[in-house]
Amino acid sequence: MIRIPKNSLIFLTILCLLFFTITSPDWLKINGITPCWPVILLLPFSLKNSPWRSAIAAFLLGMFVDSFTISDVSYIPSLLALSLLWSYYGLHNKKIELFLNIGLMAISGTAFVGISIWAQKIIQYSVLRNNWFHSWSIYVLISEVIITGLVAPFLSSWLLLAYKKN
Amino acid sequence: MIKARGKIGFHTLLKSRFWVIFIFVVLLFGIRWTKGAGFIDLYSILLKPILPGSAQKEWIQEGENIERNIRLKLLEDDNTRLRKALSLKEFNSNQRISAAVISRSSRNWWQQLEINKGEKDGVLKGQTVIGPGGLIGLVDSTTPLTSRVRLLTDPGHQIGAWIDRTQRHGILTGMGTNRPKLIFLNKNSLAEIGDAVTTSPASTLLPPNLTIGIVQFVNEKALPSPYAIVQLTASPEAIDWVQILKNND
Repeated sequence: MIRIPKNSLIFLTILCLLFFTITSPDWLKINGITPCWPVILLLPFSLKNSPWRSAIAAFLLGMFVDSFTISDVSYIPSLLALSLLWSYYGLHNKKIELFLNIGLMAISGTAFVGISIWAQKIIQYSVLRNNWFHSWSIYVLISEVIITGLVAPFLSSWLLLAYKKN
Repeated sequence: MIKARGKIGFHTLLKSRFWVIFIFVVLLFGIRWTKGAGFIDLYSILLKPILPGSAQKEWIQEGENIERNIRLKLLEDDNTRLRKALSLKEFNSNQRISAAVISRSSRNWWQQLEINKGEKDGVLKGQTVIGPGGLIGLVDSTTPLTSRVRLLTDPGHQIGAWIDRTQRHGILTGMGTNRPKLIFLNKNSLAEIGDAVTTSPASTLLPPNLTIGIVQFVNEKALPSPYAIVQLTASPEAIDWVQILKNND
């Protein structure tokens, strides 16, 4: 595998995030829902870095993604929790490059981020508390989990291997 | 010399013109009874090849459209004059900014559009964005070259709306789907399925009388107040160009 300098890799990751967040290409959508890009990009970084560095990366990533959304609901709390969890997991497990393993971690991470956003929306908008069955949330959550689970094994495992080489 | 009269019997009926006359009379009665339906139908069939074609129909439709446009213009002028007289918020339909949708997130956790017109073109936060079919959202934030539009469908997004037929106000609340909820302010909404939902003519925040959608479902017994589910007439998922309405003030 070609050795890519770490700084270039981080730069490439940010470029990818920028591109996919803004353009949200149709060929990478399920039912109009895009993959959870913060999870896909944070997962390999957290697995190969210390909890502190991962937490800082999660905070910055969350701030960046939040700047493209319209309400006060934030990605930061869920990404912070995930970064710490993945970082500790990465320190104690060696065979994490497995294709399926990465996919499962991305799926559970996306579900956690989705539930966090859903909960924040319910807390923020009282009108959503009138009816606890939100079909749109379930729809978005399931679609996002599926598409992230499909994309993550390819992109995240490649990034993880690249980080490992560094 | 007296001629002997022929024998009268059934054979006479068969031989004479009796049947011809009988059928003729029955036919006449039939025509009278159906009020000449058969004749008219036959006439229309015969006339069909020489009837004026679709061109004439188009001319008539074009004429009707011109007439409607003139009436619409007169009514709009009348409306503007009356709104001025009542000191209501003015809305100039000529001051519109057309913008293209450059990024779309109409089904995600956040339901928003990014458009390619911003502060440099005079777009301000809170301005109304319409698409083919009616109102689609409000400008949430602007940059010098772009603007972010919060769609009506975004969960928690609330605007004032009303039903013209019943003249009852409500708060249209986004529920994440293409069918936002109209929560009425009155105990009895009097709304019916098929009622048109528009912005209030007395609104101070939104331009008046903009089409929002059609009532699909009404729950009169809901507590604390009745609500209706509204099907939006403009679909943000299929819109590539939008118009931003500028206020006069």
